[in-house]
Amino acid sequence: MKQTTGTLVVKLVVLAIAALLLFAPFLFQNVRSLEVAARICIFIVLVASYDLLIGYTGIVSFAHTMFFGFGAYGAAILLKTMGPGWDAVILGAIAGVAVSLVLAVAIGLLSLRVKAIFFAMITLAAASVVLVLVSQLSQLTGGEDGITYRAPDLFKPATKLLTDADGKVLRIFDVRLNGKLAAYYFVFFSSLILFVLMLRFVRSPLGTVLEAIRENEARAEAIGYRVVAYRTFIFCLSATVASLAGTVYAVWLKYTGPDTSLSFAIMIDILLMVVIGGMGTMWGAVIGAVLMVMAQYYLRDLMGAASEALAGIPVLPELLAPDRWLFWLGIIFILLVYFFPKGIAGTAMARGARS
Amino acid sequence: MSTPSLVTQDLTIRFGGHVAVNQVSCAFHPGELTVIVGPNGAGKTTYFNLISGQLTATSGSVTKDGTDITRMSPSARARHGIGRAFQLTNLFPQLTVLENIRLAVQARAGDGWRMLRPVSSFRGLTAKAEHYLEATRLTPLAHQKAANLPHGDQRKLEVALLMAMEPDIYMFDEPTAGMSLDHAPDVLDLIHQIKADPTKTVLLVEHKMDVVRALADRIIVLHNGELLADGPPAEVMGSQIVRDVYLGTSEGAA
Repeated sequence: MKQTTGTLVVKLVVLAIAALLLFAPFLFQNVRSLEVAARICIFIVLVASYDLLIGYTGIVSFAHTMFFGFGAYGAAILLKTMGPGWDAVILGAIAGVAVSLVLAVAIGLLSLRVKAIFFAMITLAAASVVLVLVSQLSQLTGGEDGITYRAPDLFKPATKLLTDADGKVLRIFDVRLNGKLAAYYFVFFSSLILFVLMLRFVRSPLGTVLEAIRENEARAEAIGYRVVAYRTFIFCLSATVASLAGTVYAVWLKYTGPDTSLSFAIMIDILLMVVIGGMGTMWGAVIGAVLMVMAQYYLRDLMGAASEALAGIPVLPELLAPDRWLFWLGIIFILLVYFFPKGIAGTAMARGARS
Repeated sequence: MSTPSLVTQDLTIRFGGHVAVNQVSCAFHPGELTVIVGPNGAGKTTYFNLISGQLTATSGSVTKDGTDITRMSPSARARHGIGRAFQLTNLFPQLTVLENIRLAVQARAGDGWRMLRPVSSFRGLTAKAEHYLEATRLTPLAHQKAANLPHGDQRKLEVALLMAMEPDIYMFDEPTAGMSLDHAPDVLDLIHQIKADPTKTVLLVEHKMDVVRALADRIIVLHNGELLADGPPAEVMGSQIVRDVYLGTSEGAA
């Protein structure tokens, strides 16, 4: 198929984002920026895996953070009990995926036959139950406080990846080659691998079947595709990826609690990101995650600066006070949806199509 | 005569108190084209839905080459070689014409679960899809979205999807409905070609009498969900009872 100029632009933007993320530790040398970059990596994977459901197959689920949480808590609980080590991380990832798969298969087989709205309600119920369970089973999960633990030794800030002649940690462009850097690249490359895998899925024959189900479920069934099996499968696959993303994030944060991995606030973030970026494009996940995470971290600062700069003028500084950042985020969201009805990537890719 | 490929035995479906198809027993044979006629509401499309699986019978059975398929899902029946084109156009609107057809080819080939290589690298699938594009004269429209096609071309794509499934049983539900005169012959030619293959069974719901005369080896008449007449075209069209319920009322309109 011929590419539109819009598609080319979107791909270039995504490539630029990938390059910025790859060199983030060298380009933005402070703790907070690296925190933002790692969060962006994780959310790209999380949102892309959600896009497999909502954008490609037309399944609406509210249980995506639940799977993310299983992966995070799997690693967190095992790192806490077994001590910091790769065995704990790997077992945690496997445990998270296993629990996710059991629940995804159960929810899928029980309810993917019913109408979309009932399915969405069932996922909402399952996610609520898990959220309550996690806060109640505080011996295991730390309840509302969550769990703090240590990551594998490789990721300790004191770890020296390379040393110079004096035995001090080597610096490249003034960046210490320490455990923090290793941890970031663990996040980056895990996310990259998962994202590229998903990109392959959607381009494959399987991906075309998913689109067919979204477009016309009855006809997909009529030409010979077992729709329930495909939907259950993609629900499981999406849950697996979300769970793995949760494990990676837990290793990076060295803390797991309801607010970092399970809350409905994250579910809403995912929904906003996928809508802002554009459903059914994969690239939309990248753009949506970058914009949303950046806004969450920097909109307040930006507004604070703007408010100070306009100190002399009446009303405006008040309007731009940092406390009102959520108000402005809401307005930006409404404008984005109005001007980019298919999301930023979706709308851009449709541009320049007509010859 | 050869053994039948498709048999419906006492096939019945009730919607509440209404019996839409009532104890229809009929056998269809390879190499035979059967036209199903009847006034509106006679149960023709419902009968089709019972055979291809969109509806499940209240009682009676459907067998394909000796296998009971009465309770199977539509996709399982499709994999058993029953292909269906719909009366109301029923496509994948946001996908291109080529992608639409390739989906049907891919379903037939059983490649739907392949997930690690891009679909574009499956040259065989695309080549076959292009073959059916050519056969239905849709090649110039290959990269148009199905939703953007004119009605006549959407009808052709509907037929192309059925062709690409390469079924044993072809079921056409008014394939030329709403088609302009320059499009209809393309579709009728295709049906002629399928009919020429002695291994294929063709079922056709059709109102236009010239089409019925040109294609039918056999005609069955449904009326109020019941099988009213069954036989060679000349015999059925000549019978008084058929004239009364059907031909008398709608030949002028057709």
